[in-house]
Amino acid sequence: MQPAPADAAAQDRDIVALLQSGALEPAFQLTLARYQDKVYRLCCTLLRDPTAAEDAAQESLVRIWKAMASYDQRASISTWIYSITRNRCLTAIARRRELASLSDAAVEAEAQAVGGTDTEPADPSGSLRALVDGLPERYRRTLTLFYYEDRSVREVASMLAMPEGSVKTSLFRARAALAEQLRRRGLDDPRHWLESSR
Amino acid sequence: MNTDEWMATDDPRARALEAALARALRPPGLPPGFHARLQARLARERAGEGERAASRAHAQRQQRECLAELDANYLRLRRRTLGTLIGGAFAAGAAVAVALPWLQASFGPNAIYVLASVGALVGLGIGTASWVGRVRIPNPLERL
Repeated sequence: MQPAPADAAAQDRDIVALLQSGALEPAFQLTLARYQDKVYRLCCTLLRDPTAAEDAAQESLVRIWKAMASYDQRASISTWIYSITRNRCLTAIARRRELASLSDAAVEAEAQAVGGTDTEPADPSGSLRALVDGLPERYRRTLTLFYYEDRSVREVASMLAMPEGSVKTSLFRARAALAEQLRRRGLDDPRHWLESSR
Repeated sequence: MNTDEWMATDDPRARALEAALARALRPPGLPPGFHARLQARLARERAGEGERAASRAHAQRQQRECLAELDANYLRLRRRTLGTLIGGAFAAGAAVAVALPWLQASFGPNAIYVLASVGALVGLGIGTASWVGRVRIPNPLERL
């Protein structure tokens, strides 16, 4: 299980202590070891594209390294890191939209990719994943991160800067929407869901 | 049904969906070479930081040198002082042009020495007056 933010804050005391003593490089290496996977997963969730996610994750970590000396402890280390990462991803999304607006073909391709969930995928193992990708963005992000982060509502709340109650509501609605879509497609037999996700 | 209830439910469909989602949404691992690429990027940033710091120091040093050179080559004067100097020079020139024929008539070949003496006296007078104001030497004329 992932540590809860309170535990995570306690766990990050060593990083804060290193920062206070001016040992920036060891503090960054410790941060890297602890957070690089989470940063990458957050980028993957927000950007949906592994290549863009890697680029955003690396850029976020470089920004964290640059800003390490100016970390002022107003927020916990994890909150601060996730905030930098989210901002970087939002910039990447905005840039992608700008580029897409220059090309009608790109817009069409993206529309097809987003709207492509209405058709049944050829590979049954991808059906549930495709349905998740077709969920409204808020639900998709919450649900995806929930499973990426070992079902930790607190961690998801911290990563997406949402109240825990909102995360739980989003999770409930996402599952309900998924169940409804599966039922409509005649895929509500539990055996099918388990088989299709293998 | 909230998240906790959903996860704890006995409903086989909910449990199956939960298990299926957990399988479908496995966390992605870091791409191969991620750490090496990140370290390379950090190294480039560090080098860039060093270069930026060096060029900033170089530019600051150049600016200081330029300012010192400007300071050494230029004389700062108040506008009033400069006006007085130029006006005084023109007035002195005009006075000499007017007075020289009369001085030559009166003093003959010694006229030039008389002119130089008068110039020196005027110069000394101006210099003394400026020092009287600056070092607050009591002005004897004020008592009169």
